[in-house]
Amino acid sequence: MPQTQTTTDYQQRIAKLQEAMKEFGLQAVVLEPGPAMMYLTGVRWGKSERTFAVVLPAKGDPVWVLPGFEEARARELIHVGNDIRIWQEDESPFARIAQALKDRGVTGKVGIDDSARFFVFDNIRKLAPKLDYVSASQVLKAAGTK
Amino acid sequence: MRLNRRTFLGIAAAVPFMPASRAQRGRGGPQYPIPDSIKALKPMLDGVQPITAAERRARIAKAQSLMHEHKIGALVMEGGTSMFYFTGSRGAGQDPLFVWILPAKGEPSWVASATSTLHPQGDVRTYETDGNPYLRIAQALKDRNVSGPIGMEERVRFSVFDGLRKQSPSLEFVSGDPITIGCRVIKSPAEIALLQRANDITIACYKAVVPTVHDGMDQRELGSNVDAAYAALGVRGDAMVSFGQYTAFPHGSITPQKLKEGDLVLIDDGCSVEGYQSDITRTFIFGKPTARQRQVWDLERKAQDAALAAAKPGATCESVDAAARKVITDAGFGPGYKTPGLPHRTGHGIGLDGHEWTYLVKGNTTKIQPGMCFSNEPTIAIYGEFGVRLEDCMYITDSGARMFTKQSPAIDQPFG
Repeated sequence: MPQTQTTTDYQQRIAKLQEAMKEFGLQAVVLEPGPAMMYLTGVRWGKSERTFAVVLPAKGDPVWVLPGFEEARARELIHVGNDIRIWQEDESPFARIAQALKDRGVTGKVGIDDSARFFVFDNIRKLAPKLDYVSASQVLKAAGTK
Repeated sequence: MRLNRRTFLGIAAAVPFMPASRAQRGRGGPQYPIPDSIKALKPMLDGVQPITAAERRARIAKAQSLMHEHKIGALVMEGGTSMFYFTGSRGAGQDPLFVWILPAKGEPSWVASATSTLHPQGDVRTYETDGNPYLRIAQALKDRNVSGPIGMEERVRFSVFDGLRKQSPSLEFVSGDPITIGCRVIKSPAEIALLQRANDITIACYKAVVPTVHDGMDQRELGSNVDAAYAALGVRGDAMVSFGQYTAFPHGSITPQKLKEGDLVLIDDGCSVEGYQSDITRTFIFGKPTARQRQVWDLERKAQDAALAAAKPGATCESVDAAARKVITDAGFGPGYKTPGLPHRTGHGIGLDGHEWTYLVKGNTTKIQPGMCFSNEPTIAIYGEFGVRLEDCMYITDSGARMFTKQSPAIDQPFG
């Protein structure tokens, strides 16, 4: 597939998402691989049992959470955001995601990608039970994601 | 080690990912002629016994008994391997919503679009295209007097959870893993027979394609031969192929590679029979191995042997990983996941998904039990040089682990 978007394009798309998040009262959006991740960041990745996710906060830089042994391959694909947090096989990706939300000052509503799998949401929720998890579909739509 | 759970990705096959060689071939890459030796292969599906309706009913009974034990009122799932496991239906794509509900007590229900062509049997509740499927799910739960927590199958989409909680805000939603994994992790003799067949077919495929390896070969050509061999053998399957230094990358590389004398060749992945998956890796030399290649290959084989010996009933899953890893780190690699060394876990469960619970990984204190099936695939990755992975799958018996396939005996002998 030809790569026609530039890093700036993705930065602009994320900026638009951040505006939409403010409008809808969301403090962050968590995405698994899929069309939304592709549209907003240009990263195509397959969903597997090894969680690969991006946290897009309303304020601040994106945080990538991905398997340690995939780091080199993932870095080649990531154009936006330098905050890459790896988890090793015996570690929890959800602890990384919960920490990322905390580091970005998220205390309220978190939008979850509609296509995210229940176990990803459920495990984040267990580690950050006070956050309010809502569907990210409206905010993603407002940002231009199909 | 397959990159993903192939069956799951089946729906999303348009998402390119890896194995890289497959992705490249799938996009109008070069077409390669099929060698006659591969054309001569015959289907190997004679006598395959599909899972019976009685066995599926027993699975449902076990799930309901686990639901009582774990105080889960009902299990909710979308299409995929868990649905196939219990019902024999895979469901369809993601839209329109197609859901199966198993209450702790009573008959299961389907919720399907009025336009669905899947025609499920039993208690089917349809919704109009512009209707509300969640109302139907909520009603099905109510009709079975479900008030306890709803167990969500691990891959149910967030949108489905969200729709259901809006419909029934008083319900609690929890992971359905104790039920689905509790059933799926132990394989019956019928399942082991299907896994055995899938493994036999993959070995037949590899035996047919290894002799087609030649100087200057592109890795995609070998991948194409694997695809053709599986088709001739009557199944769907594929492989990731790497040559030379790219054998170090656990998930391969999309960089085009030309095989040359002295390169290692790595072929990984499998096929499925009645949904049951194989996953086998062979790493072998093209030409004559160096002393270093042979030494690392022999070490890899020792690590695989160590995991096999450790996988006894009652042992923890993490102890199997530790046994394989120790062989590798004692030789000066690692430590831990550090490369050169073993950058990932030693193995994964295998069944209807190519990767499934439970995993041979540090931190997993699950006890190994008869009927569990795992891949056994410690890798030694030396970036910039080469990698060796020997992967065979094993099933656990009362007296210990048995491989489905004969291990590779030597760097220049892929088959035992």
